[in-house]
Amino acid sequence: MSPTDKKDKPAVYQRVVLKNASPYHYMKVCLVLEDESTRLSAVDLKQFIISGLKSLYGEVGAALTFDLLKYDEDTLTAFLRVYSRGLVKLWSSLTLLGSYQNQACAFRVLQVSPFLLALTGNSRELQLD
Amino acid sequence: MVRVKSRYLLCELNVSDRSSLLLLDDRAVAATVKAAVARIHGDYGAALCSIRFNVKYLNAHTGIVFLRFPKSCYRLLWSALPFITSVETRGQKIPCFLNCLHVGGTIRTCQKFLIRYNKQQLHRMLPTCKTKEEENQVRKAILNCSLTGGSREAFEDEFESDEDEEE
Repeated sequence: MSPTDKKDKPAVYQRVVLKNASPYHYMKVCLVLEDESTRLSAVDLKQFIISGLKSLYGEVGAALTFDLLKYDEDTLTAFLRVYSRGLVKLWSSLTLLGSYQNQACAFRVLQVSPFLLALTGNSRELQLD
Repeated sequence: MVRVKSRYLLCELNVSDRSSLLLLDDRAVAATVKAAVARIHGDYGAALCSIRFNVKYLNAHTGIVFLRFPKSCYRLLWSALPFITSVETRGQKIPCFLNCLHVGGTIRTCQKFLIRYNKQQLHRMLPTCKTKEEENQVRKAILNCSLTGGSREAFEDEFESDEDEEE
């Protein structure tokens, strides 16, 4: 590579791929209940998710550490953080959780990302005025 | 070339009181293992356990069990074995624990290991014999298995009767 080559070469397109860039994965989930007016506290929600993990993955699953970072009681929307190795277990047990205190329920997973910043914006809820 | 692979776990069932060992049967042990896996690994573990799990061999005199697991998930199911504290059989709960001695790909390799292990146990039993008669029996058993051409079943039976004599 001669010096003239370096000066004449145009800017090269570079793609940087990060694999396993972040130790945690962050999820934004929303709980949808049959009876719209039930309210859960943050502790109730965490206990509910742990019970789901326990039924699907046993004691080892219930020991999976995850954190409830933010919780909005009115819309029942929560931000969860889990180690990347536990993402599949957590997501699958959220999927299979069917009933809360004898009423049907469902967890809607709105966003999943290895970076918390990515959860701030959501093009689905974008308002273009 | 194309074959279904399993892993055979050679486990020893340790009980505090030897006479209760004789009450065990393979279905009781299988039910205990399945219950322990369901408790520790939940529905996922119980489903893995239902594929190719079996108790292949149980020796009530020595407490040796061969458990068969599928090769793809044997480590997960193996991790639930230390949590077994008792085996439920005929209405009685026998407190015990499972000790895994060997993992083999086929029953034959497990048997080969078991023969070597039994030989080592006989050698270890010799200095701890209390009466002259026991010592003679153990010596005879050791001679039996060291001689080439000694039949395997004969020597295994010797070992079982020696175990009972010990207690």
